[in-house]
Order: sequence, then C-alpha cells, then structure tokens
Amino acid sequence: MDAILKLQGVSKDFGKHRAVDHLSFEVPEGAIFGLLGPNGAGKSTTIRIIMRILMADSGEVIFQGRELDDERRRDIGYLPEERGLYTKMKVIDQLVYLGNIRGVSRSEAKKRASDWLERFQLEQWAQSKVEALSKGMQQKIQLIGAMIHQPRLLILDEPFSGLDPIVTRELKDLLLKMSSAGVTVVLSTHVLPQVDELCSHICLINRSRPILKGELEEIRTRYGGQLWKLRSRLSTEELESLPGVVSVRALKDEFLVEVQEAETEIFVRELAARGGLEGLARFVPDLENIFLRAVEEDSRDAR
Amino acid sequence: MLGRSFVVARREYFEHVRTKAFWLSTLLVPIFMTAMMVIPAWLASRGGGTVKVAVLDLTGRYFSGLEEKVDTRLSAPTEKLKIELFEQDPGVDPERTREELKRRVHAREFDGILILPESLPGSGAPQYVAPNVAAFRLLSVLDSVVNEILIEDRLSGAGLDPEKVGKLTKRVDLETFKLGAEGEETQDQGQVFLLSYGLVMIIFMSVLGYGIYVMRGVLEEKSSHIVEIIISAVRPFELMLGKILGIGAVGLTQFMLWSLVALAVTSPGVAAAAGLGAIEMPSMPVSLMVFFVVFFVLGFLLYGTLYAGIGAAFNTEKDAQNFQSVITLFLVAPLMLMMVIFNEPNGTLAISLSFVPFFTPMLMFLRMTLVRVPPVQIGASVLLLVLSILAMAWIVGKIYRVGILMQGSKPGFKDILNWIRQA
Repeated sequence: MDAILKLQGVSKDFGKHRAVDHLSFEVPEGAIFGLLGPNGAGKSTTIRIIMRILMADSGEVIFQGRELDDERRRDIGYLPEERGLYTKMKVIDQLVYLGNIRGVSRSEAKKRASDWLERFQLEQWAQSKVEALSKGMQQKIQLIGAMIHQPRLLILDEPFSGLDPIVTRELKDLLLKMSSAGVTVVLSTHVLPQVDELCSHICLINRSRPILKGELEEIRTRYGGQLWKLRSRLSTEELESLPGVVSVRALKDEFLVEVQEAETEIFVRELAARGGLEGLARFVPDLENIFLRAVEEDSRDAR
Repeated sequence: MLGRSFVVARREYFEHVRTKAFWLSTLLVPIFMTAMMVIPAWLASRGGGTVKVAVLDLTGRYFSGLEEKVDTRLSAPTEKLKIELFEQDPGVDPERTREELKRRVHAREFDGILILPESLPGSGAPQYVAPNVAAFRLLSVLDSVVNEILIEDRLSGAGLDPEKVGKLTKRVDLETFKLGAEGEETQDQGQVFLLSYGLVMIIFMSVLGYGIYVMRGVLEEKSSHIVEIIISAVRPFELMLGKILGIGAVGLTQFMLWSLVALAVTSPGVAAAAGLGAIEMPSMPVSLMVFFVVFFVLGFLLYGTLYAGIGAAFNTEKDAQNFQSVITLFLVAPLMLMMVIFNEPNGTLAISLSFVPFFTPMLMFLRMTLVRVPPVQIGASVLLLVLSILAMAWIVGKIYRVGILMQGSKPGFKDILNWIRQA
C-alpha cells in the first residue's frame, strides 16, 4: 500500500517547549489511522502542522507523493478539535460556503450538501439557522462540512469528544463506510476502545515523540506475546524475583506479568514450583494496555 | 489568492446585507436626516393659532402703540400666528389685578399676561407670565415689539427722532459668497459648513461602525471556533482581506441606497407632495462625490484592518476594549481638529494634519469641500494613505495569523509585539 500522507522528521517549538519532536509516520492509502497519545502529547499540534495552520520548524509533510502546499491542502477534509459553525447562518448556506472555500462550485456544493443532509435525515433543517439546531445535529453539520469537497483524506481531531453514544455509533459506522470506499481517515484520540474498533494503523505519541507506530494487529501480537495474566498468592515482589520477569502489574485480583519470550518455560515451571500458579493465561492486551505500558516505559526512560 | 478572499467577501456581504439591522439602519438614517431637515421647517411654518394676551400696562402709555406694532408685524398674508392684546385696567391695587389675571389665565380666558411696570422705560423690565413660556415665535415677537416701543420712548425722551435713528442704526447682515475655482461666486448661507460637516460625519460614523463590524466578525469567528476550519482552507491574510472587503462593500451599498433616497426626497415632486417648497440642497460637484467614496473606502481599509487585528488578538469585546478605544481615539481626533481646518483650510497646520494618514480620510476631504486643494497634495496624501494601509495590513496580518488561534488569557501589548516579531 502506498502512503497517502507521510511525515518526515517534523519538529515544532513553542518558545522553549518542544511540542513535536522529530515525528515521522506514514499513513497508508485507505487506512483508518489513529494518532494516539495522552493530553498534551502534541496530537493537535501535529494535525495543525499537517493542515498548514501552523508551520513546522523543520521536517516535511508529503501528501500524495509531493510536499503539501496551501493549494493542495484544500483537498484534505479537516475537522478540528475546537469546531464550530457560524451560528447565524443557514445550514445550507454554511455548507455551501465550506465547500466553496475548498474550491467546490456553489451549485455543486449545494447539491452535495442536500444529499448529505438527506442521508443524515436533516433535510428539513436546511433553511434553519445553525443556532436552532441541537448540539448533535450541529456536529453532523460540521462533519458534512469537512467532507463536502469529497476528500481522499479526512483528518479528524478528537472526533468523538462530546458526542453522545448514538452519534458516536453513527460516526463510527460512517468512518468504516468511508474507509471501505477508499477514503483514508486520520483521527486523533485519547479514548482507546474506539481506536480498537476502528483503526488499522496507529502512531502513539508521548512527550512530543512517537513511541509506537505501525499496523495495529502487528503491535498487538508483538506486545501480547509476552504478557501473562495470572492469579497468585505470591506478592508483587515475589513475582518480580522469578526468572525471566520483566515487569509485574497488580490488577484488582490478578497480576499482569511481562516475561521474556525465551524464558517463558522456566518462568512457568518456577511459578508452579512456588505454588503460586492458580490461573495462567496468555494475555491479549487491548490497546489501552499497550498504550499504558508504552507510555509507562517511555516515561521511565525519561527519568 | 484573490479568489478565496472573494469567496470570503461574498459571504460577509450577503450575511450582513440580509440582516434586519442593515435594513433598519439603512432606512432609519435617511428618515432621521429628512426629519431633521423637514420638521423644523414644518414647525416654523405651523407655529400658528390665535394667542390672547392680557396686557397690564402700569405706565398707561404703551398699549395702543404696542397693539399697532403687533398688528404690523403679523400683517403678512402667509402669517399664521395671531396675537390679540387685551388692555386691562390696573385698578386701585395692581397686585390684586395681577392675581385676578392669573386666575383668568388658568380659566383659559387668556394665554398669558404681559406686565409693563410703572418704572419703564427708565428702569425695570417688562414681564410675561404664562403657563407656556417656551412658545418661541410668540415670545420673540413680544420681545422685539416691546423693545422697539420702549427704545422709541427713550429716544423721544432724549429729544431724538425715533424714525430717523431707526433708519440710521439699521442692522446689516454680512453676505458670504464662496469663491470657486473659475472665479465664480456662489452665495452661501452656511450650506458649505453644513455639507462639509455632514459629509465628514458620515465618513466618521461609517468607518467607525463598519470597522467595529469587522472586529465583531473576527471575534465571533474565534469564539464560535469556526475559524480553524476556515483557515485550514484559506490563508489568514486572505480571510482578513475578504472580511474587510465584504464589509466595506456593505458600507458602499448603504451609501448607494442613501443617495437614492436623498435624490428621491429632494426631488421637487416629493417635496411638493409633502406640502413643502422644494428643500434647498447645496449642490455637490461630482468630483467631490467620487472623493467622498474614495476617502470612505481608504479610511475604512485603514481602520478596518486595525479593528480586524484587535478582533484577532482578543477573545471578547471586553478584553479588546482598551485597544479599541485607542483606535477610536485616532478616529475621533480629526473631528476635534475640524475647526482648525474650517478656520484656515490652506494653512500650514491644516495641510500638515491632512497628511497624517489616520486623519487624511476626514481632514483632506474636509479641505476639499472648503477650498481648492492642489492636486499634488491630494495625490500625495492618498499615496501616503495607501502605503500606510499596506504597511498596516502587513503588520496586522501577522497579528492575525498568530492571534486568531489564541484562546485563553488576554494578551498584553508586549505579547502582541512578540507575535509581530515571530510570525
């Protein structure tokens, strides 16, 4: 798969604070790409750099094989984290305007807007002012606005924040549909279960740097292979002293133990000998675990 | 680039022109102006009716002369005011008579009482007692008539002939003529002053009003968070330019509508229908009208850019207030300086002031309405103004670029300087 979007060594400083530090990643065409990280990791800054709202201090943003410029960025669909609409403007005029500034003709934008409104069952609101709409409806209008020029790449910054469960479900379905129609989606979030359901690729950013990136399935096996979940009478310290153990995390009434691949057998044997073995299972981590572990390790490295 | 600014301008224009506020102000201003011109004329022509005045002449000498003079004064066939004087017998106790007359005024038998004290004409003053003492026309007639008769009495007392003295001391009024470029003379009765003043005021109010519109628009885009979506497709400078152009076009539309209304109102047909003689409008050369538009446009571009910058730098109108008032001060200053120009439109001070770009739109235009300004001066001041606009747009463009994404705390002057340096 060719990369539709590529970041190469992108850095950005705000005064003394480095907001993005040598960030590189590739977004394959047709993927749903999750840009993950804790609050303040630099996700929104990265997205603003891609959209050329902010200028990177160094590095390049390649879109469809060429460095992105102000002209071609209009081909990207963008929904910022802080999103809004002109409240006094009619819904249909607003959508036409949003299409118009991205180079769609007025008549074409009007036609597409009407189609979208119909699809979201909002057609009876076309002539209403935005301020008359509920928040959920406004969010749909914003989304339509981001897609009215039929972008091949859609970038959504925290698209699920503030959505009720119904709209969240609708948005997920829509994104999956768009993806299967060949549209590439980049979304940032710190809510991980959603990524689990949607994303095929991720890049995890912590403290302005990428710490984990690639295909989600591959990352899952890479991390899951070394994780074991078990119940035990032993304490955390005792578990940590067993051969091959890299780390131990105490959960509610279980332990999550990371073991070096090569020493798995010795570990299991020793555990059984110490009588500490009650229920042992390979742990297939959800993204949240991977995320937490990666961030933890990264933060530990920093110390 | 201009294409995208045009898309932005188009939205600004139609969204504003569609508002009720636009149509209301477009309609109300001419109605107000017309009312200002028509109502005084109408009131003056109307101040009629019959007024009954009881005259308590304690000298016993003035009544007949008074009555005669009032009748002569109000003898014109178009005169609508009629004053009837009723001589009252002071009786033995004038004070009681006076009280009695007051009662009769309350009973609506009379509208007022004119009292001429016994000490006249040597000392003392005539008095007029009435429930309504703000009937200007009546009072001015009574005042001048009483004065006339008392002065005549004093003159005769001094052995002079009142008629002769009257002829000798007749007032003359200075007649003013505006000297035009071709040496022609146009009689002026204050129209030039009024017209110049009015036009400069219109430039002032429009630049201020539409400038603040620009600022509010920018603030609204920030506070509603739409701005990030817009600048992901349009450069901040293009957005700013489009906004200013669109709102400027709204202002021009309003001028156009006003001119149409003015033409309609002052046309003889309408004036006749309103029951008035055609309103005398000072004529305005076409070149002046062109410069009026030019100076409005340039003034608006300069101040609109500044207001846009303020809108971008702050989050609420309240935060923006300090900076806004500084700019408004620049805009008000020329109004204060207008008298300098009126007194000596081609003086060194007037010329210098009209070259200050912030003042040029109003003061250079004012000079042009008053005297013939050398074309070199007009050209130079316009050029200076245009250069200032470009410089301002360049600086404000930087503030705009940084500020428009700034949420949160209110920036200080230092922060804004930093933005200009960084961007």
